[in-house]
Amino acid sequence: MSALAARGNGLILAFEDVWKRYGTLDVLRGVSFTVRRGEVVCVIGPSGSGKSTLLRCANGLEPIQRGHIVFEGIDLADPRTNLVRVRRRIGMVFQHFELFPHMTALGNVCEGPRTVLKMPKDQATALAMQLLRKVGLEHKAHSRPAELSGGQQQRVAIARALAMSPDVMLFDEATSALDPEMIGEVLTVMKQLADEGMTMLVVTHEMGFAERVADRVLVMDHGVVIEEGPPSEIFRRAKVARTREFLNQLHWQEDQDQPSPSPARS
Amino acid sequence: MSYQFDWSVIPENWELFWEGAQMTVYLTVMTMALALVGGLVLALLRLSPSRPVRDATTAFVELFRATPLLLQLYWFFYVLPATFGVGLSPELSALVGLTLNVSAFNSETFRAGIVSIRSGQVDAGLALGMTRAQVMRRVVLPQAVWRVLPPLASTWVSLFKDTSLVSTIAVADLSYNALLVRTRSYRVLEVLTALALMYLVLAYPQAKLTDWLYRTFRVEE
Repeated sequence: MSALAARGNGLILAFEDVWKRYGTLDVLRGVSFTVRRGEVVCVIGPSGSGKSTLLRCANGLEPIQRGHIVFEGIDLADPRTNLVRVRRRIGMVFQHFELFPHMTALGNVCEGPRTVLKMPKDQATALAMQLLRKVGLEHKAHSRPAELSGGQQQRVAIARALAMSPDVMLFDEATSALDPEMIGEVLTVMKQLADEGMTMLVVTHEMGFAERVADRVLVMDHGVVIEEGPPSEIFRRAKVARTREFLNQLHWQEDQDQPSPSPARS
Repeated sequence: MSYQFDWSVIPENWELFWEGAQMTVYLTVMTMALALVGGLVLALLRLSPSRPVRDATTAFVELFRATPLLLQLYWFFYVLPATFGVGLSPELSALVGLTLNVSAFNSETFRAGIVSIRSGQVDAGLALGMTRAQVMRRVVLPQAVWRVLPPLASTWVSLFKDTSLVSTIAVADLSYNALLVRTRSYRVLEVLTALALMYLVLAYPQAKLTDWLYRTFRVEE
């Protein structure tokens, strides 16, 4: 099926035989998958399998050598594509938050609407306050990132991405840099977004989150998607031996009791 | 017989010293103001995606960093008019020479500051849908400029003292006027000692300010 021809059936993002090379190293070796509107797709796999690279290609932060990445009918690999315009519609959350340290939390959330969308200040501020409230950080609006905990910074970063009203959100190991006690508060916000119908592509090591929230799970290894399916299948009846091996290494057992994310609110 | 010091030569010529000091301060302030802009422009050109632009800028910067300032001042004052028929006044020659020289140094400082901002910050800006120029203006430069304040201040203090070189092309700065007083009065030891003290008194607070900037804007990550 050609993703270019598939507009209108809910397809929002499609990778078609994507190859990405750094020097002589092939990081992505013919990756294909699709994301439909409203879907939550989690990408799991061992370190160095190409998960983060895949995500960075999805909004054109990394150019690809071969294949197509089609977002809403626009081919990101086409040199004529205006990536700046495409990225306005794709939110991204980073492992290390990457809040702008010289701005307050409010300033960070306002930045996209103000600079990119040229939204009037009052309107941007109102929007930003609403989003900070959504992630439970209204009271930290005037704090600098350095004054916030990691979990709080990441929630501000999510609000910053949401301020652009994106069609899809990319999460690049959003909880990997967090202390364990702060992971829950970020996952709670992500779960809430998923429940609201946000389309999400989530690279994660949180298998519990992937199992509960994902509509589909992609398993990556050595630059290829080795298995794809609903979480119930991947986590309980994985067909590919390498998937089972990877999950076993994480001590992931079928009957494991997962702690539910704490509904942390500071 | 030992030398008899006579310090009266200093107060007697205080007007010359005062006017010279004003010229020194004026040259320092004007040069730095222009060289901050010049340095920033050169730094951005050196980070340009265009190879010829980068190479040309690098050549320019290295030319001014790798030749003596004294020679550059001479060149603008003597060679420029003789070769191209463009005669600049001593003051303008001094200002142009100093500005180009300090711009070259500032550009390296700015460039170091810009590349010290980690790439994730650029990614975050781009991911919001910013253009490269917007990322530079809104995300990178505001952070980079704070980081390079201390080295810029060091350059400032050096510049303040290096302006004394303009006395060689007849710009009436503090050094030039002091040497004038020396020649007229033959009070060499008094004048040179007083001149050193004047530079010290003027430059010391600036150096202390620089130390303070270093302490205050030290990068902690």
